[in-house]
Amino acid sequence: MNGKEENIFTLHGKDLRHMILEACNYFEQHKESINDLNVFPVPDGDTGTNMSLTLKAAADALLTFQSESIGEVAGIAARSSLMGARGNSGVIFSQLFRGIARGLTGKDEATLYEVGRAFQYGIVYAYNAVSKPIEGTILTVAREIARGSREAVQSSLNFAGLLQIALECGKKALDQTPELLPALKEAGVVDAGGLGLIVFLEGCLQSILKGATGDGFVLPRGIAGSFAGGGGPIINGPGILEPDEQFDERYPYCTEFLIRGGGLSVGKIRKDLVGQGDSLLVAGEEEIVKVHIHTDDPGNILQICLQCGSLHDIKIDNMADQFKETRWGRTPGTGEQDGASGPAGAGLEVDAASVAAGAIIEQIGIVAVSPGKGLAEMFTSLGADGIIAGGQSMNPSVEDIVKAIESLAQEMVLILPNNNNIRFAAGQAVKLVEKEVAVVDTRSVPQGIAALLAFDRDASLSLNHTRMCKRALQVKTGEVTFAVRDAHINNIEIKENDIIGLSDGDLLFRGENVDETTMGLIGAMLTGEEELLTLFYGQEISSAQVELLAGQISKAYPFLDVEFYNGGQPLYYYFISLE
Amino acid sequence: MSEVRIVTDSTAFLPREKLEKYRIEVVPLSVNFPDEIIIDGNIKNKDFFEKMKRAAKLPFTSQPSPGDFFQVYEKIINKGDEIVSIHISSGISGTVGSAETAAKMLDVSRISVVDSLITSGGLAMLTLLAARAAMEGKTKDEITAMLETLKMKVKTLFVPATLEYLKKGGRIGGAQALIGTILQIKPILTFREGKIEVFEKVRTMRKALERTISELPERPDNVQVAILQAEAEETAALLRGLIEERLPGVMPVTYELSPVIGTHVGPGTVGLVSLQL
Repeated sequence: MNGKEENIFTLHGKDLRHMILEACNYFEQHKESINDLNVFPVPDGDTGTNMSLTLKAAADALLTFQSESIGEVAGIAARSSLMGARGNSGVIFSQLFRGIARGLTGKDEATLYEVGRAFQYGIVYAYNAVSKPIEGTILTVAREIARGSREAVQSSLNFAGLLQIALECGKKALDQTPELLPALKEAGVVDAGGLGLIVFLEGCLQSILKGATGDGFVLPRGIAGSFAGGGGPIINGPGILEPDEQFDERYPYCTEFLIRGGGLSVGKIRKDLVGQGDSLLVAGEEEIVKVHIHTDDPGNILQICLQCGSLHDIKIDNMADQFKETRWGRTPGTGEQDGASGPAGAGLEVDAASVAAGAIIEQIGIVAVSPGKGLAEMFTSLGADGIIAGGQSMNPSVEDIVKAIESLAQEMVLILPNNNNIRFAAGQAVKLVEKEVAVVDTRSVPQGIAALLAFDRDASLSLNHTRMCKRALQVKTGEVTFAVRDAHINNIEIKENDIIGLSDGDLLFRGENVDETTMGLIGAMLTGEEELLTLFYGQEISSAQVELLAGQISKAYPFLDVEFYNGGQPLYYYFISLE
Repeated sequence: MSEVRIVTDSTAFLPREKLEKYRIEVVPLSVNFPDEIIIDGNIKNKDFFEKMKRAAKLPFTSQPSPGDFFQVYEKIINKGDEIVSIHISSGISGTVGSAETAAKMLDVSRISVVDSLITSGGLAMLTLLAARAAMEGKTKDEITAMLETLKMKVKTLFVPATLEYLKKGGRIGGAQALIGTILQIKPILTFREGKIEVFEKVRTMRKALERTISELPERPDNVQVAILQAEAEETAALLRGLIEERLPGVMPVTYELSPVIGTHVGPGTVGLVSLQL
């Protein structure tokens, strides 16, 4: 390929590798514009950084890995991006690679159609990563891309064309995100994760348009050859996974294959298979038909279809394997209620198992994410067995969390993410470990501390999980930090570097200095029923400042018990807990 | 016809008039200051906690010796009576051991020693129930069997103002886990299998009281409720208000904690005992 040619017939492993490396490079250059879109102008608005680090994890792995097999390359990208995933958007992003890898499994090379379809899989996986998707986020953008490019996958003559169409749909959806999510509209921004997805696809497109010589990465020679060729025949497409594809316990086996033969009838095959399961999809033409079904008896399905022709590319997955692992920590994503809603039956199961296992019931370990040294000591003194440093300035990766879980001696583990943007990575980590793990839905440090107090070593994992989630909601959280840009939120006009006060995700106060904002925030949080105010001061606050503020508080609110602790966290002057 | 006499120890901290009315014998534990040994109950609580606050070092407490029990038992046995002797949990005190030793020295067939698995208000409740049963003419074995059943039903929850005293006293079982906690917390403690364990951890006294109240039975019928306090009249009054709100008609008795128990949990402690008969 000489840099101008856009038509690609087949892609090999090295082509995909090249594309991801290029896209990573491109993303890196644009991440700041994504960071700028955070709804709240707080200093940890790092969606761009998180997605960039996630992509980089894939790129880093690929730098030292070369394969002709596109399936292998996709697999490496999927695994490494998931392990390196940071932040909610990063985790969703990593699912994109997982979908692509699934679409390309076992393939040495892929046709344009197959690659396009794999990307579609990726989009759908990203969408499905979240069980209760919120509209107006990266998920809306992903879904609209999948919807808008479905036809193009089947008809487009080249991959670049397909990406262009996908981008058009994505941009249109991105522009709509403020209409769907009021918080975005008020902040006057589009969704940051959604933009990240667009930037990634742009990066992919750039790499194709630019050709083989990526700037920034030293790439092996000889990539060009594989880009040669024109538009080939495209199989009249079988279906794409619908975004709402769901797991039903009655039909655990996801069964997919091709039937080859002569005079095949899609209608007849479909009729034969109706009632044998759900999510049935039969598509194709006389010589080849694609079948996809969720069933409890894959053998029977194969038997039925064997009568029509020969079977190929047979793939049977037991979805229960994956589902079981995810039940506990399933964190449905950006901003909504966490999967504390594990099925009621799960709790009973654990209890029964605990009874049977006797002493094992006491073996529950706790991993807490802590943004500061003082806070880490506090979590440890309250019974946390493992601490993951991170939170505000740097979200821990899925791998960091996996390592922390695996480093504990206990076979059952509770995770306290203590940050809204880490809950999702914690949920992914749960899927990657053998241990029985549950994520307690703590979105702030004070919530984490409250939850930890509810921990009872003698109770089962499920009971602890329920109690701790409940207790976390019983404290009010406040945070004092500075604005990284101008904004207008909750009818409050904010200038860059203003000191702002947030409570449980709402911006309540702005001020000129830390004390003013802290006092204002406390005033706004108080309802009159609270007794105890705890302030965890950050690394920028001196003990003289603490004393000064303590004086002000006891004067203004003589009825409150006030306690100060050295949290040692960066960026946040104070974490406040009110109960 | 022989009588059954009830013996308890000073940690039940029953008021003198009750002891006299039900002819209950008390074997005291003691509190040892460097300069003075105080027999549990021989000092006003206010004076005791004053002394404790002034003392450079926390005092330690002593269980009664087998000899102390021997003297009390012997008098009763010599009159031809039988004994049910119920005491502070063996999980936090060696008192039951002393009692058993004394019983073996006399006549185990006539002395029944019961390990209450609790102390203070709960022990007081059980002691009074035993004494009433004795007055009604129940036998030693009947009373013992009744106590073995009832003691499992007594719920004791208490909230020390600070963990300092429990920490120094060392009798904290599972509450050990709380020592070294940087954060100020209010643990609700309970007796589990005779040992002091953490029932729940909260951060304010108000929440602690509310949580404690929520453990009361749903209905006031056949429920005995006692409030425990050591130098915490105000909090105890607050607790009383909450109990009366939750279970109108129940008349909670207030027991002070004996100096021995006070030494271990510290002034400012409140507690709630309930027994559904």
